[in-house]
Formats: sequence, structure tokens, C-alpha cells
Amino acid sequence: MHFRVELVWQDEAQDDVPSIYLTSDGRVILQGRSVSSDERDHFKLPPGADLISVDRRLIKAIKEML
Amino acid sequence: MFLKNSWYVAAWDREIADKPIGRTFLNEPVVMFRDKAGQLIAMEDKCPHRRVPLSMGKVVEGDLLQCHYHGLRFDRTGTCVRVPGQESIPETAKVKTYPVVERYHWVWIWMGDPVQADPATIPDYHYLDSPDWGAKGTYIHVKANWQLIVDNLLDLTHLAFVHESTIGNAAVAENAEVRVKRTPGGVLVTRWMIDKPAPPTYVKAGNFTTNVDRWQFIDFLPPAYLRLSVGATPTGTGAPEGKFEGGINMRNLNAITPETENTSHYFWAQAHDFDVKNEKLTDMIFEQVKTAFLEDKEVFEAQQRVIDHDASESQVDIHADAGGIQARRILSRLHDEEMQARQAAE
Repeated sequence: MHFRVELVWQDEAQDDVPSIYLTSDGRVILQGRSVSSDERDHFKLPPGADLISVDRRLIKAIKEML
Repeated sequence: MFLKNSWYVAAWDREIADKPIGRTFLNEPVVMFRDKAGQLIAMEDKCPHRRVPLSMGKVVEGDLLQCHYHGLRFDRTGTCVRVPGQESIPETAKVKTYPVVERYHWVWIWMGDPVQADPATIPDYHYLDSPDWGAKGTYIHVKANWQLIVDNLLDLTHLAFVHESTIGNAAVAENAEVRVKRTPGGVLVTRWMIDKPAPPTYVKAGNFTTNVDRWQFIDFLPPAYLRLSVGATPTGTGAPEGKFEGGINMRNLNAITPETENTSHYFWAQAHDFDVKNEKLTDMIFEQVKTAFLEDKEVFEAQQRVIDHDASESQVDIHADAGGIQARRILSRLHDEEMQARQAAE
């Protein structure tokens, strides 16, 4: 049995912010994009970590919805 | 917890005639009646003289409400205009009145600051009186807090367990993908069940012989308006892509009005956009859904009894509660804002 919930925050401009997914195995998955090696070099980000870049408005969605 | 500055459904229009009807909203007793011209009037259901409910009285001279006990009469502004046996009328002999509007076969009442009562903010329930829809509805009194009903309508996984003989089956609770969208004004829960067996009511209404693609869109607006778009088409015929032909498309329309903290007025209707003039079909769908809603009522009232036993006990949330949780957050914020505004005004 799999039950997953997608949470979407619509901002005042009625644009949908990227989604938050709650999965039946208990995880919270955020919609974003992976951080490239060029970006890791440029910003001195941890080279081996799993990093994603998320829309700033997603932070508000997390605060309001989770 | 109540939101006062909102429109609430007070009655079906057919319930209100020249005989006064008493009903409590948000802990305030209200009497409603029609004047000789059919215009609605709503006022405090309490004579300021000896506090007898004015709903026990009668309408006289076209638009005056006469108290059953000593015959004091009140006009549409709530002002006492006659005290039998004396010429002078005490200045304090007044009752509060409430803005009321008749729309979509419902009577809407505003329980808060009358200055803010804008009929343009009444939500769209045109399915109830549109010739393009076959609709039938009723009223249920529920001995439970209004938010329990909101929770129920925002989480339709309960259909699989509470309503398996009518509108539910196992497909509603398993392998689901639910989308909960928090809009600036409300919550929209979207749910698709692809290539699943049709539930009993859908088979009766849609004559389905194959699996269906079924949808549930739940549109919540505070304080307690829930408009559900539900239906199904034979699987693979394109409903998820926007082709809703060849199946059944219905609206389940709900408005819950708090009576007290632990009792509610529940107004609801079912509307369909196929074979709209077929009253037998309208009745059949209505009766099926009514059976389901009476099953819900049993659950709400059992919940309330347990809550009344120990209201401090905490609850466990699961994924299916996501829509209800968002609705409660909106309601809590609006309540805080209303309380702050009231305190600032004082």
C-alpha cells in the first residue's frame, strides 16, 4: 500500500511553488534541482554531499504547511 | 472557536415562512421569518422583557413579530414598537438584528459586524438552482463540533471504510496520490483513482461495466464551505486529460454552520450534470449519498462523545489528514486575526 501526499503552496500571485512530497515510508521530499559541480566549486559547497537548490518560496511553504 | 465575520447558511429557503423559526448560530439564538412581502428578517430570539424566545410568537400586521408571552411587538429593525397596556416604550426594548440574504435556495446569515456583511463574498453554489444541474439537498442536525465535519470532507479515504455499501470501496484508500494545494483563500484537495472498480452508487448512476477513472476535487473555503467535484468515466477515455464525457460528473455541496461548540447545522446537496430533468435519478443519487452522510453523522457524534469525555487528549495525524490540517491552520489564523481586530476596536 502506497499513499503519498503532494503539498503545494500557491502564493499571492497565484503561482504554484514547487511541491513538498510526504511519502508513505515517512520521508519528506522537496522538489528542487541538483547542485552542479561548477556551482559547488564556485560557492565552495561540500563536494560529496547530496545537495538540492530549492525555490526560496518553498521555505515559506514549508513553514506554513508542515 | 467561531469565525463571526462570515456568511453562514441559516436555512433552506423553503424552511422559512411567516411562522417564525428559531435556530441557534455560533451560540446566539436567532429567530427568522418572512414578512407579508416575503422578505426575510432575522433577529435575536429573545424578548428583552422576560427573555421568552420570540420564535414562540407570531407575525402580525405584515412584518411585526409579536412575543408569545406579553405581546410586545418588534419591527424589522429589532425595535419594540408596542407594549400592551402602556404608551411609553422603554428605550432598551430592542433586539439585535442580523443581515440575511437569500441565494441558491439557501438563507445566508451574517453573525459578525454588520458593516462588513458584503453579499458579494457569498461563495458560489449555483449548482443548487441552475437549470443545467439536477440537484437535491437537505439539512442534518449534528451533535458534534463543526470542524469534525470539515475534517471528514477533506479526507475522503474514510469512504473505503464508512461507506463501502454506497460511495466507497477499497480503491479510495490504497495506492493513492493526493495533491493538497493551499491557495491564498482556501485548500484544494485533488485525487485521481485510475483504472479502479466503480463504487456501488456510481455503478447505479453511471451503469459502468468496466473499471473507471475516478476523481475527487475538494474545494474548501473558510469557515466551512466544501464544494466537492466528484465523478468517473470508463477507464482510459481521457478524464485525467480533461475529457469528462461518457461518465458521471457530480457536485457534492456542503455548508456547515456552528450551532454551539459541540453541535452543528449541516446543509448539503448533491447535484449532477447528466440527465438533469430525470427526477428519479436525482432522488436515487440523493438517497445514496444521504445514506452515506447519515453514516458520517454517527461517526461525528461518536467522536464528539469521546472528545467530551477528555478534550485534552492528543490526536495522531496521518498523511490523509493533510487537507484537514491545512484547513485548520487557515481557520486558526483567521480566528486570531478576527480576535486581534476585535480587541483593537475595543
